Amino acid sequence: MQVTLKIFRFNPEVDKKWHYETYTLDAPETDRILDLLEKVKGHVDGTLSFRRSCAHGVCGSDALRINGRNQLACKTLVRDTGAKITVEPLLGLKVIKDLIVDMKPFFDNYKTVLPYFINDSPLPADGKERLQTIEQRARFDETTKCVLCAACTTSCPSFWGSETYLGPAAFVTAHRFIFDSRDEAASERLHILSETNGVARCHTVYNCTMACPREIQITKAIGEIKLAMITGKLD
Amino acid sequence: MGLNRNVSLNTGLQYKGREPMLTFVLHRIGGLGIVVFVGTHILSSFIGGQLGHAGNVVYESWIFQIIIFFCATFHAINGLRITILDLWPPLIEHQREAIWIEFAVFIPLYLIAVYVIIHTALGG
Repeated sequence: MQVTLKIFRFNPEVDKKWHYETYTLDAPETDRILDLLEKVKGHVDGTLSFRRSCAHGVCGSDALRINGRNQLACKTLVRDTGAKITVEPLLGLKVIKDLIVDMKPFFDNYKTVLPYFINDSPLPADGKERLQTIEQRARFDETTKCVLCAACTTSCPSFWGSETYLGPAAFVTAHRFIFDSRDEAASERLHILSETNGVARCHTVYNCTMACPREIQITKAIGEIKLAMITGKLD
Repeated sequence: MGLNRNVSLNTGLQYKGREPMLTFVLHRIGGLGIVVFVGTHILSSFIGGQLGHAGNVVYESWIFQIIIFFCATFHAINGLRITILDLWPPLIEHQREAIWIEFAVFIPLYLIAVYVIIHTALGG
């Protein structure tokens, strides 16, 4: 089928203002949007810039705004979008070139929630593993799936308003450690999340949940964090 | 070098977030409507005289009442939905159904109110 691909373009060395460029391509409906971008870059215009790495929905590099909503270019097929496709960079982050955005504010927010395992207690007697039950592991299973693509955070109106708002991805990571029975810094993380830029600024818009390519129930995770803050219970 | 991160109102509204995004936007419009209504009411009482009377005429008009009833009712029902889902996070998995229930409550309620307001306005 013939596809019209409209791409956001901005070259800081040449352009004063961003613009769109439209390309017409032949593509089967099973092609991914990433395939189309590769075709444009490889055969039409080599200056087109975008991020990609694994191309299989695992690395999260190619999160883009496709037809008005955040998706991974490597997981979105032409048959899902139709013949008219618009590809734009993620909202709320500075555009460096074409579809590439500056991810620094996103990762700064991510670091704020202490995204690593904290347990200063001595190791168990056998010196090997800190065991947990299947139920304890299942408690945070959902939020271990995050690939840090930023599709959720950049779909959030609160983040559009302020890049210092920690955002859904940081909350998902915080949830992963707060509800891990082996971790000992839950109260520290809950304190960080109770600050002005924390979960209180989540307005339950659900854009994050719908944008997540790993289908993580992000708003539910944020709700569980809010409840843990109110009740002080992690069960 | 690079483009500013600012997201304009227009760009934000063009994001295709579906039903929850629509309720989010309507909730903000509702809140703003309530502020305008209460503000007009207070200002009219405070200023008094002919100008105050003109304010009264505006917020007592049936068109204004239809708008303000939309704002207040939608804001209240949507706020109730958000509160319930916030207090019982497991229900968040059914957020789409919650929005349909919200509209199922809001639309008939609003239509009845609009009918009553117009009927009263026309009937004197």
